[in-house]
Amino acid sequence: MGQLKLLVQVAFRNLFASWVNVIIGGIILFGTVLVVVGGAVVDSLDESMSRSIIGSVAGHLQVYSEKSKDSLALYGNMGGEADLRVIERFSDIKKVLEQHPNVKTVVPMGTNSTMLMSGNTVDLTLARLRDLYKQAAAGETPELRAQIDSLKTHVRQMIALLEKDLERRNALAAENAMDPADLRALERARSQEFWDGFEKDPLASLELLENRIAPLVTDGDMVPLRYLGTDLVNYQKTFDRMRIVDGTAVPEGQRGLLLPKFSYEEFFKLKTARRLDIIKEARDVNHRKIAEDPELQRRLKENQTQTRELLFQLDPLKTQQAIARLQKVLGSTDTELEKLLVAFFTMDDANFDARYQQFYAELVPLLDLYRLRLGDELTITAFTRTGYARSANVKVYGTFEFTGMEKSQLAGSLSLMDIITFRELYGYMTADQKDELAKLQEASGVTDVAREDAEAALFGEDSSLVAETSSGSIDEDAQLAGSSQARRQQELALSKYTQQDIDDGVVLHAAIMLKDPDTLEQTMVELQEASKKAGLPLKVVSWHQASDLVGQIILVAKLVLYAAVFIIFVVAVVIINNSVMMATLQRVREIGTMRAIGAHRGFVLGMVLLETTVLGLVFGAAGALLGSLAVKGLGMAGIPAFHESLYFFFSGPRLFPTLQASNIITALVIVLGVSAFSTFYPAYLATRVSPLQAMQTDE
Amino acid sequence: MTMTLRNLFGAVLAAVLLAVPSARAADMKDPAELKKLLATLDDRQSNGGDYKSLMYIEQKEKDKTDVVREAVVYRRDARDQLMILMTKPKGEAGKGYLRLEKNLWSYDPNTGKWERRTERERIAGTDSRRADFDESRLAEEYDPAFEGEEKLGKFTAWKLVLTARQGVDVAYPVVHLWVDKETSNILKRQEFALSKRLMRTSYYPKWMKVFSESKKADVWFPQEMRFYDEVEKANSTVIVVKNVDLNALEENIFTKAWLESKSR
Repeated sequence: MGQLKLLVQVAFRNLFASWVNVIIGGIILFGTVLVVVGGAVVDSLDESMSRSIIGSVAGHLQVYSEKSKDSLALYGNMGGEADLRVIERFSDIKKVLEQHPNVKTVVPMGTNSTMLMSGNTVDLTLARLRDLYKQAAAGETPELRAQIDSLKTHVRQMIALLEKDLERRNALAAENAMDPADLRALERARSQEFWDGFEKDPLASLELLENRIAPLVTDGDMVPLRYLGTDLVNYQKTFDRMRIVDGTAVPEGQRGLLLPKFSYEEFFKLKTARRLDIIKEARDVNHRKIAEDPELQRRLKENQTQTRELLFQLDPLKTQQAIARLQKVLGSTDTELEKLLVAFFTMDDANFDARYQQFYAELVPLLDLYRLRLGDELTITAFTRTGYARSANVKVYGTFEFTGMEKSQLAGSLSLMDIITFRELYGYMTADQKDELAKLQEASGVTDVAREDAEAALFGEDSSLVAETSSGSIDEDAQLAGSSQARRQQELALSKYTQQDIDDGVVLHAAIMLKDPDTLEQTMVELQEASKKAGLPLKVVSWHQASDLVGQIILVAKLVLYAAVFIIFVVAVVIINNSVMMATLQRVREIGTMRAIGAHRGFVLGMVLLETTVLGLVFGAAGALLGSLAVKGLGMAGIPAFHESLYFFFSGPRLFPTLQASNIITALVIVLGVSAFSTFYPAYLATRVSPLQAMQTDE
Repeated sequence: MTMTLRNLFGAVLAAVLLAVPSARAADMKDPAELKKLLATLDDRQSNGGDYKSLMYIEQKEKDKTDVVREAVVYRRDARDQLMILMTKPKGEAGKGYLRLEKNLWSYDPNTGKWERRTERERIAGTDSRRADFDESRLAEEYDPAFEGEEKLGKFTAWKLVLTARQGVDVAYPVVHLWVDKETSNILKRQEFALSKRLMRTSYYPKWMKVFSESKKADVWFPQEMRFYDEVEKANSTVIVVKNVDLNALEENIFTKAWLESKSR
C-alpha cells in the first residue's frame, strides 16, 4: 500500500516534469474531447432520427411478406417502389402479431408512387366550363348561368393574352412561325361571331378550344406523389408525430387524402408566391441578402418573367382591380397589368418586406393561391403491377406535418391516404377478376407462340394466309352491358367503409409499435417464428432496416466517427509509445539508481505504467470536461441544419446534442486503454535496466 | 376501309398498305416501281367510309399477369378521326381514347376526366405509341429499297428496307418489310431505332378480305398480329380482330360527349 502511495506521488510529481508528457497529455486531451463530442452528436442524431422515423411511419418494427422480391424501403428506392408481395388479408397477420405480449398496435400499410399530370391552365379552365355545361344540361339555375358567363369571359381573356404572346413569339423567331391551321383556329376563337354562336352548341364550341387553342399553352405540370395507404384513424392514434396543419383529418370511414404541408407548398402553391416565401425565409432565417445571393436574384427574375401564371388567373374584372391596386402601390399610371407586375416584382433588399406584405394583402385575394384547394378532389392515376391503369378521385381534406420535420423534403414526400383508395389504385385482382380474364383469354382462342419459332409456327406447311369474311355488325352497347352498373356498385361500395373492410383487405406491409422497445431484437425473432408457425411467413424488420438508405446513413456516420477515432488513437499509440520510450531512456540513470537501492523490477514497471495512467487520467478527465462543456454549449445553441435535407436527420432545424454518461465513460476507457497499451513496451524496457548499466551511462 | 386496328398498331397500317395487287419481282428492282408500290399502298389505305372493329388484345410481360382487353375501334379516315372504346374486362369498360386534330385524349369513367396524352404514352398499357396511330404515309415518309427474296416458312417474300426521309418525324427511322410474293400481304415487319437497334418484330399470319360497299372493292386487314418487343425480350402482344363492321357510324360519334355517354 505504502509503495502504491509512493508511486502515485512519483507519478504526479513527474506529470509536468517533461515536455514529452505535455505532448502526450495534449494528444490524450484532444482524443477525449473528440470521443465525447462526436459520440454525443452521433448518439443524439441516432436518437432524434429514430424518433422521427419511428414516430412518423415506421413504428418500431415493420412486417411484410417473406415471399417479396425486394426489401421494404419506406423512403423509396432509387429505381421506384420496392416490389412487395401482397398480404391478402390484414386481419390474418394482425391476429398473429397481436398475440405477442410486447406488441402494442399493428397498423396496416401500403406505399406507392405516381405522377400527377395536370393539363395546362387553359385545359383546366375549359374542363371547368365543360363541367358547368354538363350540370346546366340537367337543369340550369341563375347561379349556374352566372358562373358559366363569368368563366366564358375569363376564357376570352386568356385567348386574348395567348394571341399577344404568340404574336411576340412569332416576331422573335420567324422560322418557328405557327401552323397556319392553329392561326386560323386562334382567329376564329377570337372572333365575336364564335362567341355569339357559342351557346348554340357549347360542347362543340368547347372542342375547338380544347383541341386547337389549349395545346398552344405549354404550362402543364407534373407533380410527383408518393403515398402511404393506411388505416388513418389508427395511424393517427399510433404515430404521435403526425399533426394536421390546415384543414381536417379524414373523417372515420371516409375516403380521403392528406398532403404533406411541404409538398402542398412546393407543388400546389402559386409559383410566384412560393418563390417570394422562399426568399423571405432565406432573408429572415438565414440572413441572406438579395444583393449578394445569385439564387435569390434568380427567383426574383423568374417572378418578373413568369407573370403569365398570374395574368391567366384573372378575369377581366379582377384584372381591372389588380391594375388599380398596383397603380396605387407603385404610384404608377401605367395601365398594362403585365408591365405593372414586372415593376412590382422588381425587388431588392430595401423594398422586399414591404412588397411581400403588399403581395399577400393586395394581389393574393384576387388569385387562387393554391392550384388545389383543401376540400377539392384530386385525380390520381396509378399504374398497377397488373398492367392496367387505375384512377380515382380522392378528396383532399387537409395538410399535415411530422413534428420536428416540418422542413424535411424526405418526410415531406409521403402523403397519407385511406387504405381503401390505396387498394383501388393498387389494383390487386380478386379471384372473380382473374376468372374474368381467364375466360376472355380462353374465348379468344389465341395460342402462345414463342418468339424463337414464330416463323415456323405461323408460316408452316399447314398455315393459310388468306381468308374471306363479310362485314358484320358490332353493338358496343351489348359489349358494355352491365359494366356501368358494376362500376356504380363498386363506387357505392367504396364510398364508405368499416373497420372490417379495412381488416379484411390486402396490405403490403404493416407497422408495429412495441410496449417495450428495449426488447426489440428479441421480439423480432419471436414474431418471425410466430408468423411461420401460423403459416403466414413474414419478414420482420426493425425501423432501421425498413428505412433502408436513410437508416443506413446513421450507421455510416457512426462508422466514420469510429474510423476517425481509431486512426487518431493508432497515431496516439505510436506517439505515446515513442515518447515514453524517450522518457524512459532519459531516465536510465534514475531507474538504475532506484534498482541499485533495492527497487524491484515490479516497482519500476508499476512506476512507468502508473505514470502514463495518471497522465491519461488527468488529461483524459480534462478532455472529458472540455468535451462535456462543448456538448453543453452545442446543446444550448444547437447545430444548425445548413441544408434542408438535414432537417430530417436532425428532426428539426437544429440538432441539440445531449450528453450521456456512456459518452464520458467510453472516452475514458478508450484513453486509459490506449495509454496503458502504448506504455507496456517502454515499461518493459525500463525493467531491463540494471544498476550497473545505469552507472556506466555517460551523461 | 382497311382494317380496324390499322391505326392502333402502326404495323397494321403498313400491312394494309401492302395488301396490293401483286407486282413482279423483276419490277421491284426499279426504284420508281418501288415508290409507286408504296404510293399505291397509301392510296389503298385511305378509305372514305366509316369503319368499326371489335378486337382482342393480349399483352404478356415479364413477371406480370397477362393484360387482356377487348375494345371497339372506330375510324373515319376522311376526317382523320379515331376512337378506341374499351369494353372488357369490366374494370376497363368505358375507358377510351379519342383522337381529334393533333390531340390524343384519354378518358376514364371512374374519374370522369379527360387527359391529353403525349407521344410517349403507352396506349392502353400495350407497347403501342401515339405515333402508331398516325395515318400511314409510307410513300411520303420512307424511301424504299429492294433487298431480294427470302423464305418465311413455306412462303416466299420480298424483303423491302424502308428508310425515313430527311426531316420526316417517324417513330422508327428504319423499317424492314417482308411481303408475300404471291398475295402481296405483309408477313413480317421489323422496326429499328436510329442507332440501328432492332426495337420490335411483328408477324401477320392471317389476312382477311372483306367487300366494302362504300369502296366497291375488297379491303384487306390482318386478322391476327403478333408483336415481339426486342428490347424487353419477355414482352409480346397479340391482337386479334374478331369482327369488322363497315356500316356508317353516327355523325357525332367522334366527340367527348359520345364516349362519355357509353359509360353512363
